[in-house]
Amino acid sequence: MTCDELITLLKESGADAWELTDIKTEGWEFYFIGKKLDQNRVRDVEHMSIKVYRTLKEGKMLGTASGEIDPTLSRDEAKKRITDILKDAEYVINPYYELNKPAETVENMQEVDLAAIAKDYLETIKNIRRDDNSFINSCEVFADKCHSRFVNSEGIDVTQIYPSSMLEVVVNARNADKEIELYRLYTAGTCDRSALTRDIEELMRFGVDRLDAKPTPALEKTAVLFSTRDAVELYKWFVSKLSANFRYMNLSDWEIGKAIAPSASGDRLTLTARAFIEGSSKNRSVDNEGAPTADITLMENGVPVQYWGSRQFRYYLGIDDGYIAMNFEAGGGTGTKESLCSGSYMEIVEFSDFSVDDVTGDIAGEIRLGYWHDSGKVTPVSGGSISGSLTELINEMRFSGAARHYDNYLIPELTRLEGVNITGIRTE
Amino acid sequence: MKAPFSSWLAGQAEPVKDLIAALSSHYDYVSVLATDSCGFNMVASQKNRMMERKTLTSERGMVVRVHRDGLYSEYSFNAGDMTDVGAIAAKMRGILDKQLAVLAATGTEVYDTDKPDDSPLQIFSEMETDSLPEDYDINALMRELQSYSDRAVAIDERIVECRCRLSSNHINKMFITSNRDERQSYVFTEASIAVFGTADGHTELAFDGVSDRNGPAISGKLGDLIEKTAANLLETLTAGRVTPGEYDIITTPEVTGLIAHEAFGHGVEMDMFVKKRALGADYIGKRVGSDLVTMHEGALCVTDVASYAFDDEGTPAGDVTEIDHGILKTGICDALSAIRLGTRPTGNGKRQNFEHKVYTRMTNTMFDSGEDTLEDMIASIEEGYLLEGMYSGMEDPKHWGIQCITARGREIRNGKLTGRVVAPVIMTGYVPDLLGSISMVSSDRYSFGNGSCGKGHKEWVKVSDGGPYLKARARLG
Repeated sequence: MTCDELITLLKESGADAWELTDIKTEGWEFYFIGKKLDQNRVRDVEHMSIKVYRTLKEGKMLGTASGEIDPTLSRDEAKKRITDILKDAEYVINPYYELNKPAETVENMQEVDLAAIAKDYLETIKNIRRDDNSFINSCEVFADKCHSRFVNSEGIDVTQIYPSSMLEVVVNARNADKEIELYRLYTAGTCDRSALTRDIEELMRFGVDRLDAKPTPALEKTAVLFSTRDAVELYKWFVSKLSANFRYMNLSDWEIGKAIAPSASGDRLTLTARAFIEGSSKNRSVDNEGAPTADITLMENGVPVQYWGSRQFRYYLGIDDGYIAMNFEAGGGTGTKESLCSGSYMEIVEFSDFSVDDVTGDIAGEIRLGYWHDSGKVTPVSGGSISGSLTELINEMRFSGAARHYDNYLIPELTRLEGVNITGIRTE
Repeated sequence: MKAPFSSWLAGQAEPVKDLIAALSSHYDYVSVLATDSCGFNMVASQKNRMMERKTLTSERGMVVRVHRDGLYSEYSFNAGDMTDVGAIAAKMRGILDKQLAVLAATGTEVYDTDKPDDSPLQIFSEMETDSLPEDYDINALMRELQSYSDRAVAIDERIVECRCRLSSNHINKMFITSNRDERQSYVFTEASIAVFGTADGHTELAFDGVSDRNGPAISGKLGDLIEKTAANLLETLTAGRVTPGEYDIITTPEVTGLIAHEAFGHGVEMDMFVKKRALGADYIGKRVGSDLVTMHEGALCVTDVASYAFDDEGTPAGDVTEIDHGILKTGICDALSAIRLGTRPTGNGKRQNFEHKVYTRMTNTMFDSGEDTLEDMIASIEEGYLLEGMYSGMEDPKHWGIQCITARGREIRNGKLTGRVVAPVIMTGYVPDLLGSISMVSSDRYSFGNGSCGKGHKEWVKVSDGGPYLKARARLG
């Protein structure tokens, strides 16, 4: 079954509307234990996903269902699967909405050389400075060339070619008494050798510091400074709260034109959906529903401007333009490094797993490495956890004007929250 | 009824054997895992309904594993004409050779590994199920889930949404080598209810679920959870925060399962031993918990979403006693790690799907039960919390740190529940301290299969875990 054959079947299916996404991927993978190759892998796959629609109840409602059409299906098997999915659609009924219509798009046909990307990663890793006390324990390299095509019944037919890559790295540090590890999962379009080298060498420094870390003191309400990629999780919460999906589902009460924290004494966030961010693995000319991507301001100085999201929920909220955004830039900070790094504060650079609940805004994470800055003294600490709720913490959230890039997010280099609960380790 | 084995896979068996034969002249070991698993994912809520015939485990494709000169390589594919295995073999060798050229250009050394055991083995397993996802009445199921959602939001005006989800899967896998022909077919289903509420400008949620190695008919059990889940949400809306500190705790079986999974699930995955990433390797035969702690792991140790006949490397399913009365006995192991460690695989080599690499992964991880009652456990605590509901967990196998985020804690004072609730509760600690502090274990035991497990922050597979109520001491925040 080819993509074109599938389009013919969809046109003949009797569906009132349909969408098709066809993604062909050649993926190269390399797995290392220490400096040695554990195994190499290739993915050579195609995934064709369809969504079919039935207009019901005199056009007021829309039946929808989706599924995957395997390339190994025969024509008759594919036809039956489409019929089954179309039948499902009769029972999955939502209020009516329109699909995206054809629009002008930027061409996104990138040159992707898998051998070159793989070589960049392998050489970068090999050249990372290491010694007996600080080294790369293991790593995994993934490089994909993706050829994607989106077609719908409204006339959209857009093809894109783009790279996507990932590096998982485990760094160890040891002394005579103990050995510890730190973990990173980097994602990017292609390999940025200098940024990757800087990040991994920074991680190795953290590893050495963790060896000397003291138990985290019991501090209760304390200022916390985020200076690494965990800060992205904070900004993802703002992104979720501004999604049309959350707004429509009553999971966000943020209203357009109304400040999210009117009495806030901290910085006021400006959040922008970006079509392209250099080096991002999410650079697309259209989203996965065929809507063209563009730079759109979602929030300005702490005031929501526009919700982003799928066509369905945008239609319900009466938003004509927009798309399923994947690249975001957070800015608006006024803090300098000096002002954000003043007084007593806990700078946390490594968590076991830092999480922000996108519904409740609760933050939580076990501290693997932090630096307790107090009275001019800096003490590496480990253990214990932080907790709090962003719904309250945004009132005193401050962040730097300088930015740092993490794949599909451009965020402030430093972010400071006041009054975070820190559960320390009892040392007696 | 038996879950019937995929007719598509059955039809691929001979071409797969031809492909193995074609590749065997170049490689000294060739295996093929072929998959044809279908299923659906359905959601009903107040604001939206969704149905997709695609799930975490639905897939149709093949992965070829080859071994030559000490190196393992794999090729995953899902298209191509299997009547022309020569063309597929040539394409595969061509791409793998390009990779080898890059490896040579970068001076990459190989982790030299022997080829695996390929002693003859035949398995054909069609497991019992009460229903099949591919034949189920979607209309009736959607109405049923919608009725649950409607019932939940009618309970209290603070409840703004209730999302009912059901995912049912029919797994079909076939593992073939020159000497092995293994085929299995089974069904598993998971269903969950998430209730959302708002009060005083903040939003909270409560969650519960059911799972079984059966078909979509388990949906009826969701109905029993609605009032309980809604009540949990309403308590969470008015919950306070725990004062950070160390407390006596009782874990419900769901939280017990989270501890099992995080404490000595990941910590004894033996591919981590190969990488020297797990402290557990140095503790085999040593005490890691109190006498009351016995823990099992394996596809055979309970019947739930991860109970299969053989793993993704063709190793028959097992039941490993990891901890016996507090003593760490052994870990779990995939086939390649077993070769590297000089041990035997335990049936824990799993892939996210045919496109992904095999790692040592958990299946069902369970604490054994004891002899205490929940009532006696509560009565024994002067100041502490009963921890309920699982949000997430993370461990550090190199350092044995553990983090569990639970939905709520019910305050216990002077041997009684006070009715005060705190939420959420973050439990952190050092694994041997936590397991060593277990002082009471209830006589009942439950498994939970609603979660997925990642390796690091990727490679998602289905697992279940659980056990009895445990009394222990832990740091809460």
